[in-house]
Amino acid sequence: MLRKDINELLTQTGPGTPMGDLFRQYWIPALLAEELPENDAPPVRVKLLSERMIAFRDSEGRYGLVDEFCAHRGASLWFGRNESAGLRCPYHGWKYDYTGQCIEVPSEADNSSFCQNVKLTSYPLVKVGDLLWTYMGDPAKQPGLPEFEFAQVPPEQTYTSKRWQQCNWLQAFEGGIDSSHVTFLHSGGLKTDPLFKGAKGNEYNMKDTKPFFEVADSEGGLFVGARRNAEEGSYYWRITPWVMPAFTMVPPRGDHPVHGHFWVPIDDENCWTYSFDYHPVRALTDTERQAMIDGHGVHSRNIPGTYRPAANMDNDYLIDREAQKRGETYSGVAGIAMQDASLQESMGPIVDRSKERLVPADSGIIKARQKLRKAALALRDEGVTPPGVDPAHHRVRSAAVVLPQAESFLDSCRDAVTVMPGVPQSSV
Amino acid sequence: MPGTDTRPSAYPSECARATAPGESRFRIDAPIRPARNARVIALDDRATAIARRVADRPWAKAAFYTCQAASDIGPLPEQIVLHRLDATPALLGEVLTGTDVVVVLATEDTGAHYAAAVGRLCGAGGITTAGVVLGEDFEADDAVAALRPYARVLLLSADESDVTELLTALRV
Ligand code: FES
Ligand SMILES: [Fe+2]
Repeated sequence: MLRKDINELLTQTGPGTPMGDLFRQYWIPALLAEELPENDAPPVRVKLLSERMIAFRDSEGRYGLVDEFCAHRGASLWFGRNESAGLRCPYHGWKYDYTGQCIEVPSEADNSSFCQNVKLTSYPLVKVGDLLWTYMGDPAKQPGLPEFEFAQVPPEQTYTSKRWQQCNWLQAFEGGIDSSHVTFLHSGGLKTDPLFKGAKGNEYNMKDTKPFFEVADSEGGLFVGARRNAEEGSYYWRITPWVMPAFTMVPPRGDHPVHGHFWVPIDDENCWTYSFDYHPVRALTDTERQAMIDGHGVHSRNIPGTYRPAANMDNDYLIDREAQKRGETYSGVAGIAMQDASLQESMGPIVDRSKERLVPADSGIIKARQKLRKAALALRDEGVTPPGVDPAHHRVRSAAVVLPQAESFLDSCRDAVTVMPGVPQSSV
Repeated sequence: MPGTDTRPSAYPSECARATAPGESRFRIDAPIRPARNARVIALDDRATAIARRVADRPWAKAAFYTCQAASDIGPLPEQIVLHRLDATPALLGEVLTGTDVVVVLATEDTGAHYAAAVGRLCGAGGITTAGVVLGEDFEADDAVAALRPYARVLLLSADESDVTELLTALRV
């Protein structure tokens, strides 16, 4: 359980809140690069950390992320005309460049300097991998760009999707480090999902449904190791890294691509789940990429033209009670992503954690909350830069390994959980 | 066909209605009883000092013990004599009677023998065991190794407040 005031501290990320300030120390995904596919593409509404903005790509290919509302009388720049190196409000024609600087106010005299004093709040927007990232904090403290491996490998080796999740970011994120739900909720998927099935490790997963856990600090966050019995004298370890504040990876299965998530608050009652899949040393096959596009693995099938899952709360997630009864799906909801999202959304927009009954198997979550709280307070009270800001902290991997029983997963897996360009993931 | 919503679209789905923001007001608000009858066992000197600080807080049912000055009075793990924090002796077999979770605290290797004994007894008795091993760059490898086969969870931490955090979260 968590006290109400701590729950509020961790779940509120708007401007001026301690967690909001914490998130504003990091580069976070703002949108997929495919949302602004070409110069002068239509502008896109973006809401992050309870701030409403417009993202656009100007005629010269520069990305801008600016206040959604025109400084004149507050019309939404979503209707803006993206034309010759700027975004023009269609109401009275005020025009802004990619930094939010107003560059033209047609009603003013020709050589007026009026517009020099008009600037919309704006944040940097930078393409790294398949994502456009933003940094919404103090420009003087802007850290180096993200170095997560999924965003560093060549484009043919990586794929990222996103989906809107209708609940607070924390309860979505907590699913990312909660290894103990996999055996239940996703049991069907281990056998059938094209991006999971067939790995040797899956057998250990299915044979031993009561994993043991070890939770240890890393420089950027945590490693959560889940241990199951393997052959006589050895354990099968699945190691999940968390990089603060909201990056998690799923341990790999066989030679399947490796996946993970970035959980980004939209406002306090909604978040974006970015789901990626990449292979450290080879291109994704056409079949793999198609499976991802079709919503298999950690991805979702979305309503065409949107990032809202086709199975969502408005259609009861297309629950299929017969499939549940037959054991094809454990909850009746199809697909790993929506199995997670449906249950996390069912808790309500912001779950009341003072009502929980946690067990020792929840230690990863307990420790992660504690680290978030401490980091938010250390930042607020002493200006301490939190873990995960330094791009060096991003260079972690998940791993799935079989080790002799006496070995510690941390000692034996130092290399396995570190990004080594050109070296495949450690996986069984 | 499963999932086909035949109701008029003006009615939101069951899930949409149930998770609307105002709906949380109607959750049953029953008091939650302390879930766990916990024992906290400190394996070594520093762990005992931590246990003393933690024990000062108000806990529902948690009871604290130390392996400082513990002794084996027979060959069985039940026959290890521990002490309560007020120095009164307690037989390990009795300490573990009627409990459903044991949290073991360690900071170094000296308590490995007791860690194994507690682990074995808990394993046999269906008592969930959690270990918190406190230290930097692991001074307590043997304690970790001794606990590993039995502890459902091992928290390796440099932060003493994790102990309080874990016990609070478990409502002990
Ligand atoms: S069993 Fe975990 S929420 Fe119900
Ligand atoms: Fe999941």
